[in-house]
Amino acid sequence: MNTTVIFKRIRIPFILAALMAFFSGFERDDFQKLEERNWQETWSDDFDGPAGQLPDATKWTFDIGTGDGGWGNAELQSYTNRPENVSLDGEGNLVITAIQDGNRFTSARIKTQGLFAQQYGRFEALMKTPYGPGLWPAFWMLGENIETVGWPQCGEIDIMELRGQEPHIIHGTIHGPGYSGGNPITKSYALANNRFDVDFHLFAVEWDEDKIDFFVDDYLYQRIERSVAPGEWVYNQPFFILLNVAVGGNYVGFPTADTPFPQKMIIDYVKAYQLVD
Amino acid sequence: MNTNILVKLKKYIPAGIVLMLLMGCERELDELKPVIFPDNPEVFIDGFSAGLNYAAFGGSLPTAFDVDTRETWNNSKASMRFDVPNAGDPEGAYAGGVFFTDASRDLSGYNALTFWAKASQSAVLDLVGFGNDLGASKYQVTISGLNVSTSWKKYIIPIPDPSKLSTERGMFFYSVGPVDGKGYSFWIDELKFEKLGTIAHPQFGILSGQNQVETAFIGVSKTIGGLTSIFNMPTGVNQEINIAPAYFEFESSNPSVASVDATGYVMVTGGPGDAAITASVGGETVDGSLTVQSQGEFQHAPDPTQPAENVISIFSNAYPNVPVNYYNGYWQPYQTTGSADFEVTGDHVLHYTDFNFVGIEFSSPTINASAMTHLHIDIFIPNILTTNARLSIEVVDFGADVSGTVTSTITPAQSQQWVSLDIPFSELSGLSARTNLAQIIFVDVNNNIANFYADNIYFYNEATTPSVPATAAPAPTHSAANVISVFSDAYTQIAGTNVNPGWGQATVTEIVQVQGNNTLRMAGLNYQGIELGSSQDVSEMQFLHLDFWTSNSTALSVYLISPGPVETGYTLTVPTSGWTSIDIPLSSFSPVDLTDVIQLKFDGNGDIYLDNIYFRKN
Repeated sequence: MNTTVIFKRIRIPFILAALMAFFSGFERDDFQKLEERNWQETWSDDFDGPAGQLPDATKWTFDIGTGDGGWGNAELQSYTNRPENVSLDGEGNLVITAIQDGNRFTSARIKTQGLFAQQYGRFEALMKTPYGPGLWPAFWMLGENIETVGWPQCGEIDIMELRGQEPHIIHGTIHGPGYSGGNPITKSYALANNRFDVDFHLFAVEWDEDKIDFFVDDYLYQRIERSVAPGEWVYNQPFFILLNVAVGGNYVGFPTADTPFPQKMIIDYVKAYQLVD
Repeated sequence: MNTNILVKLKKYIPAGIVLMLLMGCERELDELKPVIFPDNPEVFIDGFSAGLNYAAFGGSLPTAFDVDTRETWNNSKASMRFDVPNAGDPEGAYAGGVFFTDASRDLSGYNALTFWAKASQSAVLDLVGFGNDLGASKYQVTISGLNVSTSWKKYIIPIPDPSKLSTERGMFFYSVGPVDGKGYSFWIDELKFEKLGTIAHPQFGILSGQNQVETAFIGVSKTIGGLTSIFNMPTGVNQEINIAPAYFEFESSNPSVASVDATGYVMVTGGPGDAAITASVGGETVDGSLTVQSQGEFQHAPDPTQPAENVISIFSNAYPNVPVNYYNGYWQPYQTTGSADFEVTGDHVLHYTDFNFVGIEFSSPTINASAMTHLHIDIFIPNILTTNARLSIEVVDFGADVSGTVTSTITPAQSQQWVSLDIPFSELSGLSARTNLAQIIFVDVNNNIANFYADNIYFYNEATTPSVPATAAPAPTHSAANVISVFSDAYTQIAGTNVNPGWGQATVTEIVQVQGNNTLRMAGLNYQGIELGSSQDVSEMQFLHLDFWTSNSTALSVYLISPGPVETGYTLTVPTSGWTSIDIPLSSFSPVDLTDVIQLKFDGNGDIYLDNIYFRKN
């Protein structure tokens, strides 16, 4: 496991940051002062709509099936576009549900590939994670050129990943050429005496040509600078967004008899911003 | 308060309001409450916390617990060591005891009891928990079968509803037996109450989370069972805990039909009508419910009709019952069936709940049913069947060690009413002997009989008393010279005698043959006359002779009649056991004129067979 860090930097993220920091002080006695930035929303989905409806087809497409070798990770689930696996809850959220049927699992993976991609900016999602050994939820991005250059040359930015057996820890990671798979650049963020599956949390990256900053609830816990990348810095082209709940696989291990099913990832919204001067 | 809440609020609430909430953070109302009881969370850190006592359970090894300064968690000063005895240890069969405080503590600010533990070998702690105060132990919580290993590990026992523990004395208790008969030691350290944010998603249920519907009657009661409580632990796995009923708030939607008390005891008090019994924990409605569909007054099983002398009864209020070891053997590990037997106005009814299978045993002594032909049982399935139920009934003989099974189909239309099953032993194939019957076993073949009532379980001999005599009346032996015959094949009868004159009687009278012998049958007797072909002077005779037979008459008299009319009756003993022959002294019929007898008459009830009616000398 990677080092768990309670990051202490002094910067100001954006307009609400001063207030945020004050609040943060209740739990963490440090203050973050990030330089002021002016973010303009470029894309969003609030997941408003009637219960049972599939996500907006103008914004999301589906990955279906078991991929190549369990999506490259020996994952157990088969992805579907069925409402029981992925649909709006009628209360402004998208719910991705991992379902156990005997020793088989179904779930869902949606993406903006071909519909929306952006180079640089802020990407965020407000969500509540699933839990239990073998559950592997993720909010992440891939380089749009994956079809032509392949992975990991396209680059991957994992804004939030979680192992269900550690429902209080999330991980922020980038995979690129020479630093992928089991050897990425990654850091973890742990909640003290709390967990990510009981309340909504805001997961975000802020990305420019020189660095990628990782946030939980607007708390900066990891900065990856271009200069520290052990291989080529490929984060200079548009990336698209993915949301999924995997079951089992190399990263998380396998579900046990004690893993509760079904498991839900509940996403309140996903938004993207561009920096304006 | 934490940042998570802020992030949610930020989305919806202007900054000003957020700031007001922030102020609230500094001065919470809870802190202004007067604290009556200490809220000390520590039970055993490096020694007994303030006011803590220990008492060993009766029958346990009294010396099982000791303070250990060598084996401790994190090199602290002391831990609690528990020495589980070997099986059969004369000083105590297990390790068990209670850590309790003299004065109550307010634990409502915590949500779990936590501790570190290890054992000298991998072992399963049978029962650990809190809330045992050596008294009512109202808010007891336990974990059954806690796995401990040889390395220190932290364990958590969640508090289902901390608000209940504002005055608690039961800090910790345990009850642990040997593993495979062998004793071992385990250690517990840093035993304390905590407020954890890392346990989540509590799920509570009654009736194992099922929504049950039951037909019931006024006077029927049951206790809500299947209380479940599951918490998700910091490792993402679910942990089941056993919690006392007092954590549940039970409620009836219609107390005039069914009431429920704080322990979950449901009593049907009215109806017809429905009442839904639900429960909540900490204000949140839990899974599962019981809908009582009261039919009003109890519908009793049909009254048994077999004569008591033909019955060996296992369970009935209509007959004396033989000794029964038990009506529910609670056969572990697979039996789920419980018992909620009840009594309504003196009528005892067996009620099997959570039915999968159940056995009744009557082995001391066993039953010799060789003279019996059938097993009878009345069954009532109170839930509404949607598909056929199949009830398998197995009768076991301990002497020959054999058994026979029949399976009765009960259709949806037969649910919610009494169904009487009469099973001939001939259908219990395999039951080659029945001189040492000892068990009856019921099995829910289709797994859809949630529960059922049973009544009038007995063996009986169907050889119901026949309604027709099997043999002819005994042949008369008196000399014809001494006889004046009214009706008999053995003698010449009085010419012109009418055995069925029209006197307005309801009785259906005819002459039938029994073994080729003419016999007079009076069916459905109210009264019946016989007109002699001519007046008879029987004053030289001494007796009126009769042969009569009846299986169902409870009243029968015979009369002589002389003109006037003058008539006198004589009461006959009925029913008969086979043919009864009687010689009635003619003096019994006084003041009938024996020199001028013109008619005979019978009255009473039932079906009567008569033969050899004649007057005779000595």
